[in-house]
Parts: sequence; structure tokens; C-alpha cells
Amino acid sequence: MSSFLAAIDEPGRDLPSAAPAPGATGAEFLLAALVREGVDTIFGLPGGANLPIYQYLPAFPLRHVLVRHEQGAAHMADGYARASGRVGVCLATSGPGALNLITGLATAHFDSVPVVAITGQVATATIGTDAFQESDVIGSCLSVTKHSYQVRDARDLSAVVAEAFHVARTGRPGAVLIDIPKDVQQQPVSVARGSTGRYRVHRAPAPPSSELVARAAAHLAAAERPVILAGRGVAVAGAQGALQRLAEASDAAVGNTLLGTGVFPTRHPLALGLVGFMGTGYCNQAVSDCDCLVMVGMRADDRVTCRLDGFAPRAEHIIHINIDPAELGKTVDADCQIVGDAKQVLEALLEQMPPRPRPEWRAAVDGWRQRHPLRHPHNGLLQPQEVLAACYERLGPDDITVADVGLNQMWAAAAWTGTEPGTFLNSGGQGTMGFALPAAIGAQAANPDRRVMSVCGEGGFMMTIQELATAVEADLPVKVIILNNRQLGMVRQFQDVFYAGVRSQIDHTVTPDFQMLARAFGCHGQVVRSVADLGPAIDAALAYPGPALLDCWIDPEANIYPIVPFGKGLADFVECPES
Amino acid sequence: MISQAGAFGGSDAISQSQFLHGSSPRVRLISLRVEDRAGVLQRITNCLARRGLHLASCAVGQGSESGVLNLWLRVDPGTQPADQIVKQLNKLIDVVSVDDLTRSEPIEWAMALVEFRPDGRGDQIEETLRRVRAEVVHRDPERLIAALAGPPDLVQAMLDELSQLPIVDFVCSRPMALGSGSPVTACEPARHAQAGSK
Repeated sequence: MSSFLAAIDEPGRDLPSAAPAPGATGAEFLLAALVREGVDTIFGLPGGANLPIYQYLPAFPLRHVLVRHEQGAAHMADGYARASGRVGVCLATSGPGALNLITGLATAHFDSVPVVAITGQVATATIGTDAFQESDVIGSCLSVTKHSYQVRDARDLSAVVAEAFHVARTGRPGAVLIDIPKDVQQQPVSVARGSTGRYRVHRAPAPPSSELVARAAAHLAAAERPVILAGRGVAVAGAQGALQRLAEASDAAVGNTLLGTGVFPTRHPLALGLVGFMGTGYCNQAVSDCDCLVMVGMRADDRVTCRLDGFAPRAEHIIHINIDPAELGKTVDADCQIVGDAKQVLEALLEQMPPRPRPEWRAAVDGWRQRHPLRHPHNGLLQPQEVLAACYERLGPDDITVADVGLNQMWAAAAWTGTEPGTFLNSGGQGTMGFALPAAIGAQAANPDRRVMSVCGEGGFMMTIQELATAVEADLPVKVIILNNRQLGMVRQFQDVFYAGVRSQIDHTVTPDFQMLARAFGCHGQVVRSVADLGPAIDAALAYPGPALLDCWIDPEANIYPIVPFGKGLADFVECPES
Repeated sequence: MISQAGAFGGSDAISQSQFLHGSSPRVRLISLRVEDRAGVLQRITNCLARRGLHLASCAVGQGSESGVLNLWLRVDPGTQPADQIVKQLNKLIDVVSVDDLTRSEPIEWAMALVEFRPDGRGDQIEETLRRVRAEVVHRDPERLIAALAGPPDLVQAMLDELSQLPIVDFVCSRPMALGSGSPVTACEPARHAQAGSK
């Protein structure tokens, strides 16, 4: 689906280009600049320090989704961006409003998602006086943004907005913050400045080094047991096709990171599925046995590598491709580090790769796939895999699933069968519980014609549950699937396996009746307790015109397998006991 | 800056300070050109601190370009790969260029101001200052202030020499540096297409 990228970043396409008339306020210049960037939706919450923006908002062709908590606004902008490839925008007031965005900005930034956050600030003259609802949002967000601006003169607003969007979307995308004091929002502007006068904004990577590409191609061509690991960077670059061609040309088995779920066809004979801490046994086995490893469009964090000296120990060559040079050599010391866009590098590699079948390697991978299948217990209780399979088989290829964080996320990723980029979303780097519902609302706002399903546990759902009101109010008909195990399931599994079996503070002895709660919010709600109920319940939820919720009471002891014990290498994965 | 007023410990304090040298062999000398904008130092120190890259020293100065600050940092990468210092700093939008000068035989220069209480020993002090080629920049009956400048090793040696005298206080800058040879990173200081004059 090339449109995922083609849609990105064509500022000014058929949009009202008229700049505000001389004498218009900073707020109007801000809103006009957003329109010029192609923004159609803002997720926000008004408050004392951003009211001038809200005063002029109704005059602009911008949809505003009123959130119930600013964290939700940031996650919605994030979900909007992940599902569309466009920059997501959220808006908050100063002080607590701005600080409430931080979790959401960190979530987006860690996963390289382009989000622009706009915050009101107390008036310029009162900055630094500990004024009411003053917060140092720039300082507070330094570690969770790619860049930030405090605009002290409204004449700079147009140029700052243009630059902020450019920074957010180019290179390795990320979160950008624009903090605007209230008086600047109200400042009349006669002539806007056309530039911020900055020396460097975007460090466009040079074309991939042809010498390194040739070396990588030689390593891959000489390999007997090649493995490729692919991350979300492949989707961001639109490199799925090149990835598949390279894998097929070299008979390389292809695993993916959590954020890379879906970048390689899950049912392809070379597909290995998820790598790492909770990856498939056959993927972790293949990485442990490969003699040449290619990592593309991904970081190699601890959840991918597990014990570092147990990561790809037999690999004679590791080729790491990333658009961000800082990710190369940061953890895994690849001997061939290529800075560049995933698509450019993979296509350059392909040109130098004579196709060569590797039947013995394929047979070895097939053997591991048969020896280490994903499996789950059959004990008469509703299993999460049964819920997910029933959901997925009812979704179309373009429909979107947003997973929360915890067991639900790993189950949802493991069961995923889609291949379109931007259709399986989750919080990878930060692992932010509460992500799924607001991100699904954002994804739905970006894709009104597609179905959007949010998969979550009851724990994460409770963290941002208030956004159900947003979904109903904004007519964004997301479908919430709660895999309800009445406990913090992943914590419980960790305690069982890694912390001497001491179950401590994991039981949700009190949870609301989600079915009734959904109805109280104006959603469709239903409880599902058996496999027999599943199909009709999902059909009813999908058929309901508005937001709907299914409270699926799953086996409370259901775990995620395989899992690599803390401190162990990938090859030490532990599988689900045979039931 | 090291400033020890009043009960200054003389030679011990100077010899123990090692303020012009990194203590770890992994310490890198980093040269930065950054946009001279509000909060830029916070961005740099935060970038290092949040990744466990210890900022051992920092000197700030104005270079030949308007709107650009020059910084010289000594950074201990700790357990991180040393090239993370340059790579992470290079991601900051306000950083115009960043070079690791450690291996480029940089020309380094530091400066110190030393304050003495003559107490009738003015001649002896001034004789010593002449010998170490320090310059007297202030002189009154109560105090005498000398300025020293030179490569960090030389300034350290001069301070060691002066530590025998009745020093009241001293301050010492971190070294500035100019690298020789080609930059370690390929950071093109290309202006953004939209950027014009300020």
C-alpha cells in the first residue's frame, strides 16, 4: 500500500493557502499554518492558556476532537499518525494540561512517530514567576521530544510550525513540541517572518555507502544460514516489497520486531514472526543459528536481543541498517553498519544479490517451525488466542487493530495475520498501558472508512477509559475488545516465573461491570464468557454503528509463550507446557 | 570553574584538582557548534546526562559565525560506546556541527586567574610570576592578581609552581580547542532550504 507513504507530507495540497490578513492574531497564524501543513484533525482540550487558539479555531477547516484527558490527546495524535503516515497534532493548555501530554509524547517519540504537540503557556511577562498553571514544559519534555520551541514572538509562528512539521516527519520521525505563551497567541501580526533562520533542520542522510552495500551483499551472498530481522522503519520507508524480494532472492528467513509486526507477510514460508523476549521459538532459534544477520529499520533494544552475548552468537557477519546513525553500534556491534533509508538500502542490496536457493537452510527453519509451534492450553476456559482469531477473521486487510500493553499485546501480535502497514499498532518502546483506546480513536479519525479494533486488558483499559466518551461524542466507532483476566496478567506471569512465585498486588478484585459501563457511556456493551458466544458477539459489535465494547472473560491463568528468562539468551526460550 | 575562597588549601588543592584533565582514558574532547538560542545548553547537557554520558568539563565561546556558539566538552562515555557522544549530540536540531577532536591532536588553550595576598612578599610573588610567564593583571596593597594562559598541561604546571605562594583564590577555565585534520563526523553545516538571513 504505497499510499501509506504517498500520503505523507505534501503540505499545501489543495488546501486554503490564504495567509491571515495583516493584523490577525498569532492564534490565527498558528491555525492557518496547521491548515497549510495538511492538518485536518486536532485532538485537544481547552484551558486558561490556550483559549485564544480556541477562540479562532471554529473559523478554520480543522476538526477538533475534544478529549477527556490530555494523555488521550497525545495518544490519539500518535494513533492518527501511525495509521495514516501523516503528522498527528494534539493541543493542551499550560501547566497540568501540558504535563499530561508527556506520557503520550514519550510513547510516540520512542516509536519514531511524527506528532506535533501544541501547548499554551502563561503570558511572556509571567514566565519564570511560578504563575498559575505555569510549567516548564520545554524542560520537562526534553528527553521525550525530537525538538521543541517556545515561540516568544507571533511573527515567528508560521515559520516555526513549518519547521516543526518538517522536523517531526523527516529522517527518523519523532515528537515535536510548540509552546506558545498566551499573549503571543493574541499578538497582532502585520508581517510574518518567513524563516526561523536556523542553520540545520534536517540531516538528510547521504545515499547509502556503495562500499558498505557491496560488502553487505557479499556477506549475504556468501551466507549459508541468512536471517533478516525487520522493524517499523521498513514500513515507514515503504520497503516491504524490497524486503520480500531480498528474502526470496536469498532464502533468508525473516523475523520482525514488535513494531515491525506485519512488515513481512505472516504466512510467507520464510516468515519467522516475532523475535526476542517473547518471540517465537523458531525465530529465536533461527537468529541463534544464523551465520549472517541483517537488521533493517529497527533498533536492537534489550527486548529484541535479550542477553547481548547470546544474540546471534554464530553470526559471522551482522549487517545493521538504520536511518538513525546513533542506533548503529549502540547495543549490537554490527560489523557492517549502513546509515540510510530502509528502502534505498534494500533495493541497492537487491541489485547486487544473485538469487540463490538455500534448501538446507529452509528445511532447518521449517523443522524449527514444526518443533516449536505457538500453542496455548485447551482447558475449557476462554483462551485469548480464540478471541483474537475470531476477531481477526472478521476484519478486512485494511482494518486496523490497536493493541494495548501487556499479555494482550503479545497475544495480539503473535496472532496477527495482516500485512498492510499501519494496520497493527502498539506501543513498543515505552510499553504504555492505556495506549490502545485513545490510539484507536486517533486511528479511526484518520481512517473513517475502516474498522478499528482496540485490544486491551482490563488493567490498561482502566487507565484511559474516560476516552470512551470522546469516541461516542466524536462519532468514532472503535470496537474495544477487553481480554479480561481480572488481574495484571503479565506481572502475574513474571512473578510466577521470575520472582519465586510470589503473587503480589496483581488481582483486580474490583473491576466495574464493563458491559454496563460501556452502556453508561453510550456504547454497545456485551460480556463474552465462552467460545460459543464469541462469533455472534463480535458480529454484533462490528455491526453496531457506534463504539462497542466486548468484555471477554478469559482464562485468568493464560500466559504468553515462548518467553526468554531474564538474563538468558534468545536460544534459552521457554515454551508453553504441553497441555 | 573551581573557586575556593578563603581557606584555600594551597598546593594540595591544586595538585589534587586535576581540573584540566579527564581522569578516565575514555574521556573524549568534543567540539560543538550550536545555535545560540535560549536553552541550548540545557538541550546539550540533557542529551548527555539522560544517556549516562558524564560531562566532565565545558567551555563556551563565540566563534566566527554570528548566531553560533562554540562549545568544547570533555565527556566520559561511561559504559556507552564512545561514538554515542557524537551520534546523540548530532541528533539535536540546534547542533550545527559536532566533532570528536580526541584523536586529531587538537590545539588546546586554557586560562587561569590567581589571586595572592602580598603581605610583604610582593617582590617574591612577582619574581615567581615572571619566571612562569604569568601576567599581573591587577595590583593593589591588599591583593595581586595574575593571569595565566596556555596549553592545559602548561597551565597546570604553572599553577603547581605558584602553589608555594600565599594564594587566596583561583579560577581556571576549561580548555578551548581547535582540531587539526578532518572532522570525525560528516556534519554538513548546510542551511535549511527555507532558511534565510535572520
